[in-house]
Amino acid sequence: MKNRRRVKNKNGIANIYLVLVFLVLYAPIFYLMYYSFNSGGTMHKFEGFTLDYYREVVADTRLMIIVINTLVIALLSSAIATIIAVIGALAIHHVRSRRAKNTLLSLNNVLIVSPDVIIGASFLILFTIVGIKLGFTSVLLSHVAFSIPIAVIMILPHLQEMSPTLTDAARDLGATRRDVLTKVILPIIKPGIFSGFFMALTYSLDDFAVTFFVTGNGYSTLSVEIYSRARQGVSLSINALSTLIFLFTILLVIGYYYLNQRKSRPPVQIAEPVAEAGVPR
Amino acid sequence: MKQLVNTFLAILIVAFGLMFLASRLNSAQGYSGGNTLTIYNWGDYVDPDLLKQFQEETGITVIYQTFDSNEAMLTKVEQGGTIFDVVIPSDYAIAKMREENLLLPLDHSKLPNLANIDSKFMNLSFDPGNKYSVPYFWGTVGIIFNPDMTKGIDFSSWDSLWDKRLKNNIFLVDGAREVMGMALNSLHYSVNDTKEEHLQEALAKLNKLSPNVKAIVGDEVKMLLANEEAAVGIVWSGDASEIMDDNDKLDFVVPEEGSNKWFDNMVIPRTAGNVEGAHKFINFMLRPDVAAQNTEYVGYSTPNVPALKLLPEDISGDERFYPPAELTDRLEVYDNLGKRMLAHYNELFLMFKMNKK
Repeated sequence: MKNRRRVKNKNGIANIYLVLVFLVLYAPIFYLMYYSFNSGGTMHKFEGFTLDYYREVVADTRLMIIVINTLVIALLSSAIATIIAVIGALAIHHVRSRRAKNTLLSLNNVLIVSPDVIIGASFLILFTIVGIKLGFTSVLLSHVAFSIPIAVIMILPHLQEMSPTLTDAARDLGATRRDVLTKVILPIIKPGIFSGFFMALTYSLDDFAVTFFVTGNGYSTLSVEIYSRARQGVSLSINALSTLIFLFTILLVIGYYYLNQRKSRPPVQIAEPVAEAGVPR
Repeated sequence: MKQLVNTFLAILIVAFGLMFLASRLNSAQGYSGGNTLTIYNWGDYVDPDLLKQFQEETGITVIYQTFDSNEAMLTKVEQGGTIFDVVIPSDYAIAKMREENLLLPLDHSKLPNLANIDSKFMNLSFDPGNKYSVPYFWGTVGIIFNPDMTKGIDFSSWDSLWDKRLKNNIFLVDGAREVMGMALNSLHYSVNDTKEEHLQEALAKLNKLSPNVKAIVGDEVKMLLANEEAAVGIVWSGDASEIMDDNDKLDFVVPEEGSNKWFDNMVIPRTAGNVEGAHKFINFMLRPDVAAQNTEYVGYSTPNVPALKLLPEDISGDERFYPPAELTDRLEVYDNLGKRMLAHYNELFLMFKMNKK
């Protein structure tokens, strides 16, 4: 009885802590959303309800083009980056020597922790030397580049978790290399591929530092646009836009869980018994 | 596997669909045609209706791109790789660009409307003879204060900031030139003073201000002052007009000892692709009716004389933003003091910041 109570108490504190953390995380977002409906036009006195700022956002064609640009870049760059990352993760996984593997992994990690500003500035220099015009191509290339290491990190653990006996068994049963890849390896690492894709997507959506350096010739993305508008004081239409994007990301997350829960369960369930039926790990 | 392929195909289809939509919108706006002009300006620093009007009058499509600091803009222009036809930097950035040979000389014969600019805003130290630049907006550095919280202190002199009643009630802008300049001004020296003893004197005076300073802040000063977090702030006049839009209790004053005046000017960078169009645009912006409309939208002070007459009295007659001649004569532009002197200014400012308790 005594014990149980202690456990309950502990849980209570943990829950309160969790609620507090989420409050801190979400409060600014809800604050911003709340004022996007303020007819007063400022962020410090709520005067009345209005949808004017949402209308303003939709009517601003330039802003709409920028939003679409941002989405296109995010979707394309993370799709391309994920495909490259799958190949890269497979390659790293297949390297035999431990040292070589660690070196490759460290090189991958260095790119994740290195400051965005430096990556952005180096891309700017690279593109101008090579002669790529700043605009869609340069932004896409740089986003693909900084997304790859992130996707690799998300995919590799799934590869490492996979029992090596699985591929051996598949080969013994007469599967070709291609079959092993498409029927065994890819289905097993699928959750990793999706999480890699979604991580890359969020990175691409909100990246400012790199994008700032490589945008040009009238091509811009949302982060760069909002940042330069902020100097004049952020207008509430930015609040409205942020609210819309927040809802959009929530939808993405829900979609991601839907994919993860419903579709990736069966292969995992099949994979586990097979692994256990083989050589015990 | 099939599911993976399908998902990625769906993503690609959505992306290309969006791309198609964007290109449709772009061509509907005329952004993809050949006859375009790229303007590189501060965010929200021009009336978008004027860009449309320019497009209707000349058939040139304007692409408006934005930056958030002179330094960021300099990097982009220096590196090349993208074409900007008209850029609108501040005074010291223009001096720098001139030194680094990044600007095209202006053809004054194509800018007849240049005559509209007040002569006291022409031929300034950062660009003698206006060979490369044309004034766009100007402003000052001054004191914004909340009469409810300052109990009748008269802010017409910089010395009023040292008043004991303002303890822990002043926001300073985080700029070495601005804060040092204010201290120099309060001692009746020039904001460009380089004499060591004068600078030390200024530092000593600043240190005495410490108890009154609540914080040294950046752009967030606008929000803080509008929310009445402190009674007084040292800000640029442009910021002041924005703060006063948000909170009309506040008032702004440029102290009589003098202060800095700053300029944002239009220039044509060396990499410009449409020099003809750039001249047309600059000349267009100098037209009185256009300048007046733009001034009403942006809220900064215009150097355009006939435009001032077109503006409503409550804007053009506002002495806080259009100070009378005897005061403007005392305002100074920041000279380019050179790297070493600037480093010294920064060092002194840092010492003041470290001393602050």
